[in-house]
Amino acid sequence: MNPENPRPFIEAANPTHPSLIDTEHVTDRLFGFVNVPMAVWIDEDGMIVRPAEGASIERSPLREMDVPEGLPERIEKAFVEVKKFPDTADAYRAAIHDWVENGADSRFALSPDEVIARSRPRPVEHGLAAAHFELGTHYHHAGGNDAAAPWWREAHRLHPENWTYKRQAWSLATTPEGEPPDLLQGPTDLYEGNWLDDVLAAGGGEKYVVVPDLG
Amino acid sequence: MIVESMSVDPGEFAAATGWASKPEGLCKDVRCVPIPDGITDEGLLDLNVVVERLGMPVVHDADSGLYAIGPECGGRALTSAEAPDVELEDVDGNPFDLAAMHGRKTLLVAWASW
Repeated sequence: MNPENPRPFIEAANPTHPSLIDTEHVTDRLFGFVNVPMAVWIDEDGMIVRPAEGASIERSPLREMDVPEGLPERIEKAFVEVKKFPDTADAYRAAIHDWVENGADSRFALSPDEVIARSRPRPVEHGLAAAHFELGTHYHHAGGNDAAAPWWREAHRLHPENWTYKRQAWSLATTPEGEPPDLLQGPTDLYEGNWLDDVLAAGGGEKYVVVPDLG
Repeated sequence: MIVESMSVDPGEFAAATGWASKPEGLCKDVRCVPIPDGITDEGLLDLNVVVERLGMPVVHDADSGLYAIGPECGGRALTSAEAPDVELEDVDGNPFDLAAMHGRKTLLVAWASW
């Protein structure tokens, strides 16, 4: 949760738009983000016209690659699952362009009732998960991973589909101090789960993304 | 929202959750929820009443005494299509209010370094 972690990416992109830091997962609670990248669309009047959904806009080059030979077993298996992520980049990007051009007349801009109906479900367990995650985050500031882990573990159990809770916790546990965030997020002593095993338990890479409903 | 007591200042609660205390009760976007017996004699919100009325789960850490108030739940992540107030800092610590984007289409994308 080092707010400096995104800086290299932001500076490399040199965007003309604001890039904000959300260490407390405020946007999870407000919009229902459960993974990254996800996005909401907000019109000129401050109305959400598409709820949180997977927001890939560029087809990953990994899709075109054969799985390299000789990889460590877990990395190879992770590679296989990544290649299974639903490929929605071209369609989602086209939808964004359509909205930019056509505004409220775009078929991709939803009514308020549809926005609410399509937003992520939030049963009591997910609300409890958010509360546990927030406590863990609070304790992490002063006590690090060991202080946060009991609360984050419970957040993972209560909301297993929330990959932001998991990936952040795992990354913090597996990344050496001062190093770039670990992307593989393998097994640790702190958490029962890890990226590969949890993805497989969820049904594989096909189930990993909140696929935008562009129909 | 993390609190040390289940009696909190209404302004603090509004800032954290978007639920503002009004004569009708607690209000957020187009909704108002009456909270009979939800105000203490000191003018504070009794969260024991509030969380039940709003459907917010509470987690209590008995060791530290802290309470974490979770978001409204039992339905969907969005209860309104009105974009909520969001103010976050950029990487240099400068605050930015999402409301500044009014008048422009906004694609709010969440990504992470991990």
